[in-house]
Amino acid sequence: MSVKELNISPVGRVEGDLDVKVYIDNGKVTRAHTQAAMFRGFEKIMAGKDPQSGLVVTPRICGICGGSHLYCASSALDTAWGTKLTPNALLLRAIGQASETLQSIPRWFYAIFATDLANKKYADKPLYKEVVKRWSAYVGETFQIGLTASGLPVQIYALFGGQWPHSSYMVPGGVMCAPTLKDITRAHAILAQFKNDWLEPVWLGCSIERYMEIKTWDDMLAWVEENESQRNSDLGLLIRAGIEFGLDKFGQGVGKFLATGTYLHKDMYNNPTIEGRNDALISSSGFFDGENYHVFDHMKISEHVKHSWYDNQKDGLHPWDEPLPTPMKSQTLHETDFDNQYSWAKSPRYDGHAAEAGPLARAIMNANPANKDHQIQDPLFGDIIKKLGPSVFTRVLARVHEAPRIYTFIEKWLSEIDLDGEFYVKPVEKDGKGFGATEAARGALAHWIEIENGVIKNYQVMAPTTWNVGPQDGNDNPGPIETALLGTEIEDPSDPVEVGIVARSFDSCLVCTVHAHDAHSGVELSRFKL
Amino acid sequence: MANVLWLQGGACSGNTMSFLNAEEPTVVELITDFGLNILWHPTTGLQIGDQVQDLLKDILAGKVQMDILVYEGSLIQGPNNTGTMNYFADRPMMDWIKELSEVAGYVVAIGDCATWGGIPAVPPNPSESTGLQFHKKNKGGFLGADYVSKGGLPVINIPGCPAHPDWITQILVAIAVGRIGDVQIDDYHRPKTFFTDFVQTGCTNVVNFAQKVDGGFGRRGGCLFYEVGCRGPMTRASCNNILWNRQSSKTRANHPCLGCTEPGFPHHDLKKGSVMKTMKYMGTFPKEVPEGRTKLAYYMEAGFQKIMPSNKRVQETSK
Repeated sequence: MSVKELNISPVGRVEGDLDVKVYIDNGKVTRAHTQAAMFRGFEKIMAGKDPQSGLVVTPRICGICGGSHLYCASSALDTAWGTKLTPNALLLRAIGQASETLQSIPRWFYAIFATDLANKKYADKPLYKEVVKRWSAYVGETFQIGLTASGLPVQIYALFGGQWPHSSYMVPGGVMCAPTLKDITRAHAILAQFKNDWLEPVWLGCSIERYMEIKTWDDMLAWVEENESQRNSDLGLLIRAGIEFGLDKFGQGVGKFLATGTYLHKDMYNNPTIEGRNDALISSSGFFDGENYHVFDHMKISEHVKHSWYDNQKDGLHPWDEPLPTPMKSQTLHETDFDNQYSWAKSPRYDGHAAEAGPLARAIMNANPANKDHQIQDPLFGDIIKKLGPSVFTRVLARVHEAPRIYTFIEKWLSEIDLDGEFYVKPVEKDGKGFGATEAARGALAHWIEIENGVIKNYQVMAPTTWNVGPQDGNDNPGPIETALLGTEIEDPSDPVEVGIVARSFDSCLVCTVHAHDAHSGVELSRFKL
Repeated sequence: MANVLWLQGGACSGNTMSFLNAEEPTVVELITDFGLNILWHPTTGLQIGDQVQDLLKDILAGKVQMDILVYEGSLIQGPNNTGTMNYFADRPMMDWIKELSEVAGYVVAIGDCATWGGIPAVPPNPSESTGLQFHKKNKGGFLGADYVSKGGLPVINIPGCPAHPDWITQILVAIAVGRIGDVQIDDYHRPKTFFTDFVQTGCTNVVNFAQKVDGGFGRRGGCLFYEVGCRGPMTRASCNNILWNRQSSKTRANHPCLGCTEPGFPHHDLKKGSVMKTMKYMGTFPKEVPEGRTKLAYYMEAGFQKIMPSNKRVQETSK
C-alpha cells in the first residue's frame, strides 16, 4: 500500500502548460502520464486560407522555435511549388536556423535547466555551493552573463530577418532580404562578441578549436581535467556536478531516436524535392533504433490519437492522410481517466516506434558512419551513448555540445554569401502537396501542406515536443517522457524537482505540441462534446 | 518595489522570448536594480505544482500583494465558454484570470493574443480565444469594457506579435517607480509613447515611398507598399525608432510590415491573396492607403509621381 499518486500542475519552466501525474512506489516512479493542457487549433485556423499563411502563422505557433517553423513552412511550399533556391537563399536560411538554435543553448541552460541544480535537494553535495553561486536564477554570476549573451545570436537573425522572434523572411523561392557588406560585417562582429563574452571564457574555458578536438567520452573527461580554466568553466562544472548529482542515473527514455536533420547545403538543394532532401542535409536525418541506423523517410511517420482529446480519427495515419479531428471535452489532471483520452498532444510514431527527438538524437545521427563528406561527422555521442546510455545528463551534454560547432558554421556561411548573387527567384504558385522539416533547437520539426484550389486544404505540424511528450499510443505504449520518468526517485513529494528535471532535459515546449496537433476545418465547432 | 505575476494562456511564449532579449535594462537588471520582484513566471519560476497553486491562492486571499499582473497569450474560453481547453494549475486559466484581475494593482496585456485575441482568434477561432479587454477591434473582450484594476486603469495593452522588449520593460518600470501617471493610453489602450508614430517613421525606404519606386523580395532598395503588402504607413508602432534586437526592423530587412500592432492582425484573416501581397482594385490601385489620406487623394498623388515624365526617380543601391 505504499503506492502514492502525485499530481503536478503545472510542471513549470517547460514553455507551455504541462501537467504530469506520477505513481510512486517506495519512492520511485512506477507509472507516469504527461498531459498537454492547452489547445489553440492553429492548423484548423489555416485551412481554407492563403497558401502562404504558414509563413505568418506557424512561426507564431512557438515563439521559441519560430525561425525553425519558418524554415519548415518555406520548405514545404518550396517542394509543393517546385521553386528554385539560390546558394545565397539556402545560406541565409541556414544562418537564421543556426542563430536561433545558438541563442537557445545558453537561454535554455541557464533560465530553464540549471536553476534546478540549485535546488535544496542537492544541498549536501560538495559542488552545490559553486552551482548556487553561478546558476541561481537572476542572481547567479554566470546566469546573468549567459542570459544576456543569449540575445546576441538573434541579433544576427534580426539583421537578415528584421527581428527575432517572429520574422517571416524565408519565403518560397528564397529569402526577402538582400544583405549588404555592412550587414555581413556586423554579423561577424556580433558573433565574435558572443564568443568573447560567453562561449570561450565562461562556457568552455578554452578555444573553440581545442574543444572541437574531443572525439570520445574519455577525451571529454581528460579535457575537463586538463587545466583549471577548463575544469572551472561552466561546461567543466556541468560535467563534474552532473555526475556528482547523479544526473546520468535517471531519465533514460525509450532509447530510440529520430532526427529530421537540417541545414540544407547551399549547392545541393537548388531544386527542392522531398526525395532529394536527405542527401542535401548538413546535419543528417535518420532513425536510430538503439543499435542500427535507418534512412529517414517521412512516409514512415504516423500519429496515434487513442489517448488524445480528439474524436473521429483512426490511429496510425500519415499526416497527409489525417482527417479533421474534433476536439473532445478535456479534464483536469485530477479528474482524468488515464485509460482513455488524457492529453491534447497526439502520439507520433516512426515505423511504429516511440522515438526521442532532440539534440541527443541529432548528436547520434552526427555519429552515423554513413554520413557523407558534406555532413557533420562527429563520433562523440556514438561513443557516449554506448558508454553512458541516454539520461538527463547525456541529453543536456548533447545540447550544449552544439554551441561551438554552430558558431563555426555561422561564421563559415556568412563568409560564403555572394553579395553579387541572387537571393530570391519568384515561384509559380500551384496546387499540390509539400513537406518541409528542420531541427529546431529542441529537435525534429516537420510541416506537411496540401494546397487545393489555391488555398490550404490541409496543414499538419509535428513538433519535437509532440514526439517527446505525447501520450500512450494505440497499443498503450508510453511516450518518451512518460518512459523516461519511470524509475525516477522522488525524494520529496512536496517538491518533486526530479520530475521537472526529466521533463526539462527534453526541453519540452508545450506551446508547440498543443496546437500542433489538432488540424483542419471550421465546421466542427458545434460538435464539441460536453 | 513591485510584485509581478506573469501568466501565459493561449500563448507561444514569443513575448517572453522577446522580453528576455531586453537591453537597458536587461531582465536581470529589472530585478536587481529596478525593484521588480517576479512572484512567478512560467519560463523562469522555480515553484512547480502545488507550490504555484498555493501562491495563487495566497494572492487571492490578500496574503501576497500582486502589483502587476502580466498576461501573455489569448484568453481561451472554449469549448462553449468553459475554458477547459486551457487548464492551468488544475483549473481553467480563465477562472484564475477573472479572480486575479480583481486583486491586481495593474493588468498589463502583452502581445496581440492577450490584447485582442491575435492569431488564435482568427476564424473559425477553434479555441474561442479573445483578448483581455478587446476582441479584435471591439472593446469588451474577456474582462469587459468597464473593467478597471485597483490602480484605477483599464488593461494596459502592449500589442505586437511579439511586443518589443523595450515596450514591455519601460511600462513595468514606470509602474514600479511610480510614474504610471505619465503613461497616456490611446483608444486601444496602447501607451501613446510607443504607438503614436507609424512604422514608416524612420523606415529607410521613405524616399522610395515618396517617389513611388517599387521594391520586392531579394532586392536592395524600393518600397514594399506596392507589391508585397507592407503596412508601414497604416501601422502605429516605433519599430523603426526603437530597433529590434538593437539591429534592425522588418522594413529595414526588406520584410513588409505585417501590421501586428494594430487590432486587425493578421489583416483580412489570411484570406487568399492577402499574405505578402498588396491587395488591389483592378490590379492597380491599393485597396488600403496610408493613414490620414482619402483613397482619391492618394491615387492622384501616387499617379502623379509615377507618370510625370520629367520626374526623375532615384533608385540607388549598393551591395
